[in-house]
Amino acid sequence: METVLVALKDSLILSAKLLFIILPLSIFYEFLKGRDSKLAKRRFAFIGISGRGLIPLVTGIIIGLTYGAGVIIHSIRTSNVGKKEAFLILLFLSICHAIIEDTLIFVVIGANGFILIAFRFILAIILTYAIYRSKIFKTPEE
Amino acid sequence: MNGVSITFTMAKVIVPFYIVIEFIKKTGFIAVISDFFKPFMQLIGLPGEAALGLMAGYFINLYAAIAVIAPLELSSKDITIAALILGISHSLPLETAVTKQTGVNAWLLMSVRVFFSLLSGVVLNVIWKLFS
Repeated sequence: METVLVALKDSLILSAKLLFIILPLSIFYEFLKGRDSKLAKRRFAFIGISGRGLIPLVTGIIIGLTYGAGVIIHSIRTSNVGKKEAFLILLFLSICHAIIEDTLIFVVIGANGFILIAFRFILAIILTYAIYRSKIFKTPEE
Repeated sequence: MNGVSITFTMAKVIVPFYIVIEFIKKTGFIAVISDFFKPFMQLIGLPGEAALGLMAGYFINLYAAIAVIAPLELSSKDITIAALILGISHSLPLETAVTKQTGVNAWLLMSVRVFFSLLSGVVLNVIWKLFS
């Protein structure tokens, strides 16, 4: 019985800590959703992602695949992003998404947030660039 | 309010998981699982118990993973490695479904995530050892 009470207490404390992270983030996300992202027009061109792909890309990086799903699916379907570019966007996001929330919830239990963000961001750029430049990718689109 | 409901959903996962893990720790079942995964987990520099956390993260979500990992009281290095692996690869059933909706090859991307998450764990483990 004591085990249950201690575990209950600890898990509730952990949940409360996470509340303090998730609450402000969700307000920030709502704010972001309503804005057009003109953040970095050409910055991602070198890995094959154009201006059209920026909305799903930036949404995914910041908000993530689960909560950003609506925006990502809608913007990829409606914005004339080609099949290959869509793949690059999702490839990038596979490695690097929801970097704020995913990072902070682990920082709460003791992780090094800087390493987490830097590692995922760099890996995503290298991988997307490698595929964009590779021969498989250069074949003409059907 | 969105944030409150998210946290409530999350607490519904964390609290029962946390309690179950505390119990399993007492039964010695974790030791069995740990021993089984030990050889592989050594590659990524994590104790065998963390394998449970990784699986909870892969198949369920990050909150389940945290509920499993938090009571294990790992070092900051171990938690960072686990967080890197889980950050790249988590909630696979749900997020693969989302990816599929965009029309790209979701199964390929899921494999990419799992592969690179484990590879990143190995790499970060090596780098961390070099610098400390």
